[in-house]
Amino acid sequence: MMEGRCAAESWAEFGLLGKSGTPLVKCGTGTDVFICTGGEEVYVFTAQEKTLRAVLQMPAAVRDVVVSHDEQLLFVACWSGVYCVNVQLLVPRASSLLVVGSVLLTLCRTDASWSLTLYQIQRTSQSDPCDLLASFSLPLVSPKVQSDAESRCVLVCVYPGNLMPASSPPHPLRSHYPLQPLLFRRLFGAEAALSKSPVVLCGLPDGRLSFLPLRIPGSRLRILHSLEQSVVFVGASAVMETDAGCAGCLIALGKQGRAVLIRAGRAGLEGGGGTRFTLGCVPGPVECACMDQSRVYYSTGSDLLMVDLWDGSSGTAGRQGDKEDEASRSNPAAFLTPISLNVSGVVALHQPTYSSAGEVQLLSLSVRGRLQSIRLPVRTQEDSLSKRPSSQVGRSVGDILSAIGDICERASVLKTIIRSKNQILKQLNQVMNISFLLSNRSESDLKPVRCRGSVRWSRLLQRDSLNLTCVLENLSPFILERGWTLSVTVLPLSCPLEAGGEASSVNYSFPFSGLGPEESVEVSLPVATAGDASFPVTVTCSLLFSLWRFLGQEEATAPLDLQSACFSLPLNTLTVDWLDALRLSDPPAPARSSSSPADLLQGFISSRQLRCRGGGQASRPEEYSARVRVSSELLRDALGLAPGSPRVSLLEWLLSEGCGGVKMERKGIKTDGSSSVICGSAPDNATVKLTAEEVNVEEKTKPLVTVEVQVKSSSVAAVCGLHHAVMRRIQTLLQKAGSSRVVPTADLRLALQQAEEQRGQVWEASSVGVSSGQTPPLLLRVYQQLRDGPLLIL
Amino acid sequence: MIQSASLLESWTQENNQLASGCKDGQNEPNREHNLFRQRRWSSDFHKLLRKIQGIPPHLDRAQLELSVVYNTCVCFTAQSQFDEAELLLTQTAQRLLQIAGDDPGTSDPSVLWRTALKSVTGTALHRRVLSLLCLQWGVWLAKSRLTAVQDFQEEMSLLEAQSGAVWNDCRAETKEKISNIPILVLDPRRLVDLLKICTAIVQGAERLTEGWSVLSALQAASASPAPRALIAYTHLLSGSCLAHMNRPQMALQCYRKALETDPRCVCALYQSALIYSRLENSQAEIQALRILHSMLLLPSTTEPAMAAGRLLSPSLFLCSQSLSSLLSVPSALSVLHSLALKCVIHSRVSEGVECYLDLLAALQSEDQHGVHAVVSTLPKLPRLYLEAGAALLMARRPADCMALCDEVIGSTLDLLPEKVLLEDPVARRVAGSGEVTEEAENGLVRLLWTAAAYLLQGHCYSQLKDWKQAVTHYTRCINLLVKVHYKDTGFSLQIPCADKDPEQGVDLCVLQRLKGLSLAGRGISFAQIDRLREALRDLQLSRQAHPEGVSARRWYGEVLWRLDRKQEAAACWEQTWSNPIPSLSEALPVYAQELQSGPLLDSAELHQKLQELGPT
Repeated sequence: MMEGRCAAESWAEFGLLGKSGTPLVKCGTGTDVFICTGGEEVYVFTAQEKTLRAVLQMPAAVRDVVVSHDEQLLFVACWSGVYCVNVQLLVPRASSLLVVGSVLLTLCRTDASWSLTLYQIQRTSQSDPCDLLASFSLPLVSPKVQSDAESRCVLVCVYPGNLMPASSPPHPLRSHYPLQPLLFRRLFGAEAALSKSPVVLCGLPDGRLSFLPLRIPGSRLRILHSLEQSVVFVGASAVMETDAGCAGCLIALGKQGRAVLIRAGRAGLEGGGGTRFTLGCVPGPVECACMDQSRVYYSTGSDLLMVDLWDGSSGTAGRQGDKEDEASRSNPAAFLTPISLNVSGVVALHQPTYSSAGEVQLLSLSVRGRLQSIRLPVRTQEDSLSKRPSSQVGRSVGDILSAIGDICERASVLKTIIRSKNQILKQLNQVMNISFLLSNRSESDLKPVRCRGSVRWSRLLQRDSLNLTCVLENLSPFILERGWTLSVTVLPLSCPLEAGGEASSVNYSFPFSGLGPEESVEVSLPVATAGDASFPVTVTCSLLFSLWRFLGQEEATAPLDLQSACFSLPLNTLTVDWLDALRLSDPPAPARSSSSPADLLQGFISSRQLRCRGGGQASRPEEYSARVRVSSELLRDALGLAPGSPRVSLLEWLLSEGCGGVKMERKGIKTDGSSSVICGSAPDNATVKLTAEEVNVEEKTKPLVTVEVQVKSSSVAAVCGLHHAVMRRIQTLLQKAGSSRVVPTADLRLALQQAEEQRGQVWEASSVGVSSGQTPPLLLRVYQQLRDGPLLIL
Repeated sequence: MIQSASLLESWTQENNQLASGCKDGQNEPNREHNLFRQRRWSSDFHKLLRKIQGIPPHLDRAQLELSVVYNTCVCFTAQSQFDEAELLLTQTAQRLLQIAGDDPGTSDPSVLWRTALKSVTGTALHRRVLSLLCLQWGVWLAKSRLTAVQDFQEEMSLLEAQSGAVWNDCRAETKEKISNIPILVLDPRRLVDLLKICTAIVQGAERLTEGWSVLSALQAASASPAPRALIAYTHLLSGSCLAHMNRPQMALQCYRKALETDPRCVCALYQSALIYSRLENSQAEIQALRILHSMLLLPSTTEPAMAAGRLLSPSLFLCSQSLSSLLSVPSALSVLHSLALKCVIHSRVSEGVECYLDLLAALQSEDQHGVHAVVSTLPKLPRLYLEAGAALLMARRPADCMALCDEVIGSTLDLLPEKVLLEDPVARRVAGSGEVTEEAENGLVRLLWTAAAYLLQGHCYSQLKDWKQAVTHYTRCINLLVKVHYKDTGFSLQIPCADKDPEQGVDLCVLQRLKGLSLAGRGISFAQIDRLREALRDLQLSRQAHPEGVSARRWYGEVLWRLDRKQEAAACWEQTWSNPIPSLSEALPVYAQELQSGPLLDSAELHQKLQELGPT
């Protein structure tokens, strides 16, 4: 006898259990045990010698095994049929068997119903052992839902009183229970009681518990109760002193641990139908179960548990008053508290047996295919939970504490996961908001998230470069959280001929972490270097978001497929043109203030180069110029300038006003007197002079005051670029003014004539030039004429 | 070509081997074994057929192919695999048409078969196709598609007409060169004969009410060569037809002929019993029922014996609904019950008691033969117990009666409801049937059982002249009966047997009867112990509850007489002369009727008393 612990003794190994069938262990003839591991074999094992006696090979996976009362015949239910020991085919697809007297019952599922079939077992004629007696059917609840074709049903038989069949062997039969007559009458009615008929109870995988009185003419399968989960076990318990071997309580256990206790209520309390269904719960899942007089043993797969039905608060229900019963009924969770027996992996159990010393012995089959005999300690009346040995109490407290620890750990992990998922959901929400905000606007609208830019020349390692500082402003009410990337694409509009004429773009991306409303972030990137004349440059800004951000660790391992995992939202586009890139210098004073020796040196070298290059030509390089005339009135109106000196303000405006979103950072523009002049160097290092002066134009009707802006440089590219930049700005100015002025038609005609003339020249140049190779000079001349004939902008 | 010829030969040989094995194995006595072998044959034939049909149809092999199809279909039919057989037949017809180069463009079997027959007319294949058509006929018959069968009536008659010549021809041919001709497992002529009579039977059953035309068809069929069982069926159907035509004596003659043809035709016996019952010839009816019961107990009758030794059993083709309802016979227990009841009602009490005791013993026994056999028409067990008790009481065996009643009381007493509330049946019908009312009815039924058991016990005690015990038990009965309340106060209690709601009506009628009888019984008992006032009160109440109660009225008069209210007594007696105590009927349970078991008043004595009174 072991110290309050149960002992599991391993008897035999049958290998891992197959999944297709039902693991079973059943005791049969004498000391024989029939074991099915879920495969096609039935093992016959002798418990006395603890050896394997025979292996029966069946044609299909075994579902159930039953032994006839005289223990002569073994019936095995397979998918293909029910086999007797002399291999007799009965009915296919039987999933459960029961023998009542000389009747074999099979329960099988057909397409639309459960059918319970009765066979007469005749042992007189060898050729024809089984005759079909009758068949009863119960329709399926809903054929589609039930995928329980594999799960087994439970078949048990109950008798009224002590009226077990006379032919039954002395030891109690498996799956046969004598029931208290009162309970029997109440459950199955007066007819069943009068005929003293055995009643078959079927527990179906859909949770229904149905019954069939065997000996009543015209009886049919009726529903007793529904557990609403697959019925795993049906048994009866004989506890009350008055019962004298009859069970006063039926119990059914469901797969998920729901239990129902069925007892007879007190006579006269509720008139006729005094049956009491007490619902309860045990920790599931219930893999298999068995019971003795008052205790249910069941396995959850990980542990073997014992439930004492009549222990504790609700126990001895017969003696205590109705109040107690009411309480236990209204509080069903209270009534079943299992005790762990610490045996894991049990998948099939046989009915307990008792040794002479009062030990309970259970025969079990484990999930690994091991046949075990489990001996339980003797439990006396005093040996209850409160009176355990202190060492055991300590151990159990330790167990419980560690279990609590485990659960806490798991709970915290789950909490973190939930939190992070919530976080991700929130972020996704923000992302979605921003996406809608940015994608719904048309191009002309000002987007709530946009870029401003400013450019500045800087010198690094003796090289000048033009840097663009991009400021991303968030004017939306949403936060741009981590995961967003600002992507800036720099695309020159044109590029030098030697590069192949194909402009190549450069991409910069700047991940940033969090940008709240009304906040901004500043990034800086090179746009061009000195000597590079590929202006104007288009700067396209967009926001990128990568979904990999949410995937956490996988970010590192998974290949970053930008196409599928990213989405991009275009922002605005900036343009950096020649004017923006213009480096100002002091007006051409006779004495150049030497700022630094390096500058001087550079200036010297470049002048030498120029001179050398131009050495073959005239001593002084050719000057190109372009002129633009704007009416002062227009300037005044559009810029809102003081009427005094529109020239200076025009130049200032040209150089300072950001057009296309880019600003140049300059200290101040120095001009002189009446005709303001600005000198500077273009990005290709050519010197440039911008002048603005007031000119009176004599039109036919009236004199007109205009401001003329002249661009002068030795570099054609610079003149072109600057002229283009000036025109762009004035264009925006005009758009801003947006007025409808009266344009004299005569002037227009004149301008048209001029334009036609020049078009003719261009045509001439191209046609002549093809033959003579004189195209570039001719075109240049036309261009000169075009630019020198100043366009008057009213 | 050589290859093909040898293949043809080997296939023919295979078919012949299978067919001869099949023919030899048909006389196996073991049913299970036979089933197994049939399954094997059909799968073997089917395998062979698939080999043959694996190559495109050709005229050279058509003879063999059609023979194998025939054999396979016969095996399928024998195992009730009609769908498979029909599919095979349709496919074969299509292949035949492929040979002929016809394409009817439809899968309708009748069109297919007509075209196929036309395409082979005059060739050697004609009789093979006819035999396949014959199988198709069988399948239609088995599936109760009588219209299809009727559509082919013309072809069928052609079949019958030609069969003699053609099959004889075939036989001669077979004798000539035995090895080259594929053997058939079943002679098509026998199949035609079988199908003819089966068709006649099924059609007869379907059109039973049509009168003389059906009768003549059945008479014609009964003259054809066929198994005895089938001939008996034709006689049986003729009898039923005559019964429909209101000629019971002629019907009885037919039933007798059926029984003479086939002694196992129990349905003829049962039908005769029904006719006797209609003719109110109770002695003959009881006799018929008694024979029927003893025949049902013989094991051979439950098995259709005609299947033995044949490949195709006629029962395969006789599965029409109306026929099976005609052929169905109640279980032995039901027959025993009706026999017992008839005996009791027609004053053969001791026989009835024996029958009841047999019945109860059969129900209690572990041998459950017949209990589950069919849907039972037996009444509920407690009612059987009570009827048996009443019979015992009538047979003057009060002790046995009391034991039975004790059992009923024991099993029902603690299931009784506190009270039963009955609603107005009209209102109840409007409200629809709920579970509550059903439960109440169950309660009512149980209550009536228990009350009847107490009533019978009261009767027993009064038979034993233990008046005090009698009063006790009558009182118990009354106490139970007054637990039934009516919800609607305006509801008239004077509806004895409401024909509007039969179930509830019978229950209410029984309730009123039991009330009347128990009050009368108590009144009589009181009268016996000279408590005349109580007796008068009870008898008065009894008369209100059950105005038709004759003994209550007579005893009412008697008590009045004893109370020296002679004029009233005389008036009361005067009334009773006109209606004597009614004999027992089947409409109500026996125990709810006047059993004449208690103390009787001698009517001659009453007359004498009246005459004494007369002059005064």
